[in-house]
Amino acid sequence: MRKNKYAAIAATVAALLLVTGCGSGGGSGKAESVNPKGDIKPREISWLLSRPADGGVIKAMKQISKDYSKEHPGFSLKLITTPDRPSYIQKLETLAAANKLPDLFDIDATPFAQKLAKKGSMVNVEKMLKDMKIYDNYRTSALDYQRFDDGSLYMVPFESQIEVFFYNKVLFKKAGINIPKTLDDFPAMCTALQKSGSTPIALNGKDMWPLERYMAFYPFRASGNEFIKNLKKGNAKLSNAEGRKAVEWMANLGKSQCFQQGFSSTEYADAQALFTSGKAAVYNDGSWELPALATSKLNPEVRDDIDYFLLPTTPGSKTTENEYAAPSGIGMAINAKTYDPLVRDFIKYSLTKYSKIYADTGQITPMKSSTAKIPSDATPLYKRNFDDADKVGKVTLMPWDTQLDSTSNTRLQQELPLLVQGDISVDKFINTMDKVIQENGPKAFKDLN
Amino acid sequence: MLPYRSKKSVLIFILPPLLLYGAGVLLPVIQSLIISFFDWDGISDMKFTGLANYIKMLTGDSVFWQSFGNSMVYLVICLVLQLGGALLVATLLTGMTKGRDLVKTLYLLPAVISTVAISFLFQRIYSVDPKGLLNQALDAIGLHSWTHAWLSDPHTVLAAVSIPEGWRFSGLYMLIIYAAFMSVPPEIEEAARLDGANGWQLFTKIRFPYIRPVWITTVIMAVTYGLQGFDIPYLLNNGRYGQLVTTYMYRTAFSNTNYGYASAISVFIVIECLIAVALIFKVIFRKEEA
Repeated sequence: MRKNKYAAIAATVAALLLVTGCGSGGGSGKAESVNPKGDIKPREISWLLSRPADGGVIKAMKQISKDYSKEHPGFSLKLITTPDRPSYIQKLETLAAANKLPDLFDIDATPFAQKLAKKGSMVNVEKMLKDMKIYDNYRTSALDYQRFDDGSLYMVPFESQIEVFFYNKVLFKKAGINIPKTLDDFPAMCTALQKSGSTPIALNGKDMWPLERYMAFYPFRASGNEFIKNLKKGNAKLSNAEGRKAVEWMANLGKSQCFQQGFSSTEYADAQALFTSGKAAVYNDGSWELPALATSKLNPEVRDDIDYFLLPTTPGSKTTENEYAAPSGIGMAINAKTYDPLVRDFIKYSLTKYSKIYADTGQITPMKSSTAKIPSDATPLYKRNFDDADKVGKVTLMPWDTQLDSTSNTRLQQELPLLVQGDISVDKFINTMDKVIQENGPKAFKDLN
Repeated sequence: MLPYRSKKSVLIFILPPLLLYGAGVLLPVIQSLIISFFDWDGISDMKFTGLANYIKMLTGDSVFWQSFGNSMVYLVICLVLQLGGALLVATLLTGMTKGRDLVKTLYLLPAVISTVAISFLFQRIYSVDPKGLLNQALDAIGLHSWTHAWLSDPHTVLAAVSIPEGWRFSGLYMLIIYAAFMSVPPEIEEAARLDGANGWQLFTKIRFPYIRPVWITTVIMAVTYGLQGFDIPYLLNNGRYGQLVTTYMYRTAFSNTNYGYASAISVFIVIECLIAVALIFKVIFRKEEA
């Protein structure tokens, strides 16, 4: 009898848990309106972001929200930033699972984001921007970067960047080499730099995406974004000729000791310091680092020695020299559940003012209207970078970390350093990754497109 | 024997901690058990998949078994450092007359430093560029060829992440064991000495058997903490190489958003800890019977 009683209690507890466990997964987005009716009731709006705390976006948004709160007493914008991207993504995904997303949150156009959009958790940004009549102010490339595969747009871009290879002219001269003409010249470049006593390439491997970017270069030159678009869904394989070529190129970078010893646990600041102290010859980074790499903030000893080159092509390359990584940064999504007249009004207010304020911080804006202000202490590199940004071609490199499903992406980030360090062979890498992507990719994209 | 208490008064005192324990420990365990039978990414609807997660974990996931192997190595390194180190220092302390408190405090210090601080500290110690303390020390004694990227090499990373964990708690266990040594009646030791027992005999025949109950508790604590080890390995290299079952579970849940499968792994961790404790008891009681 007593046993039965305990069994009944246990069963009730289990049933309750099942209900609570399932409950958090549910939650449906309400019927979407990009122009909700009602009065603007000032309150605190939270924005969970993954941007540098002292960067232009946060500076500009702080100023805008301050101005807005003067007109709307009781309003405030709470900015919660986690610049460390892997930690940020984990935080965001956990909040999404708990159905506790903030009013605004940063997210890339990943399959996870697409699932959220499909579930009705995010406001349709294309509709919203068109309704606010500011859609046409944006550069097409900035919006396209934020789109999902089906062309839908659920994130607002706040940046417009290009990624280039900064290099040290003096170290190149010392090694007796010129900048690489094709991607195939990279291993020889590294060997020459190694021989002359320099670290060839500084890499912040702890952030994981930088090495993954290298993996994307060869396929991007061979076929634009086609390869990754097919690979992620299991329609292409790394064992195909194109995939194998990319993997072999990565393994060759490793064999030629392109990256500094212990690169996989090197942090962002340490990697940059390797380059700015004149120890490393090459550093692949975005124009967001121009204030550190092309102004008087840069170490005077190397200031005049720094230059940059664009992603080299390959023989028979499908994409041209002016087509490379030009991201509009992580996008901002708007929580459909908390989207009300205040959020809409604040977003409209911000996006109308943003471009000018952001441009004044010395950064290219995702909008056509404002020209970025070059700081007075900038080196000539700064302006050249802006000129190149204006000349970016039609196709831009889609970072693989925004394309692959999260399980495949995590595994790729784990296996890549092992491949480059020579701890696993090309064949083993290909077998492992193909198996993981085949298992997870098709499943992740099954209901999305 | 306690004096008589009414059932009600016992219940009043027992219920609050029991409820807390239930809410803090049992509930999540049961919840994990339930979720482990589902396929769930956190935002879509949960799909019941029966034992599929367990079958995949036990038969089709090489990473899981690799992580399990790593966890065992991690456990052994931690136990050797924590229990071996603790026992050694506690024994030495009993023979010390001056500066005992200072040594105790210094030894206990790592246990009160936050995990994040320890991880940063060791990240710098192991660093290869800029050169960290370890590689500098190797250079200084002429072992330049031994300098190494300790956290990036899959062959050394496991030891590199186990050492800070072992170092961190050895002081705490030392204190527990030292307190137990202090409770050994001096007259027994004195009698043994008069009978001609040497230091080693004194330790193995008198002191160690006397502190056995405390030793069992310490072993159980160290083993279960070792099996649950997560923070330092995760912080030191994002749990990428030398992945443990715990870091693998965390990544599966929070990076890969595969909560169902991660829950199955977490259930495995619970069972693994229970089995470990049962084994410890079995080994110790068999010894006592013999």
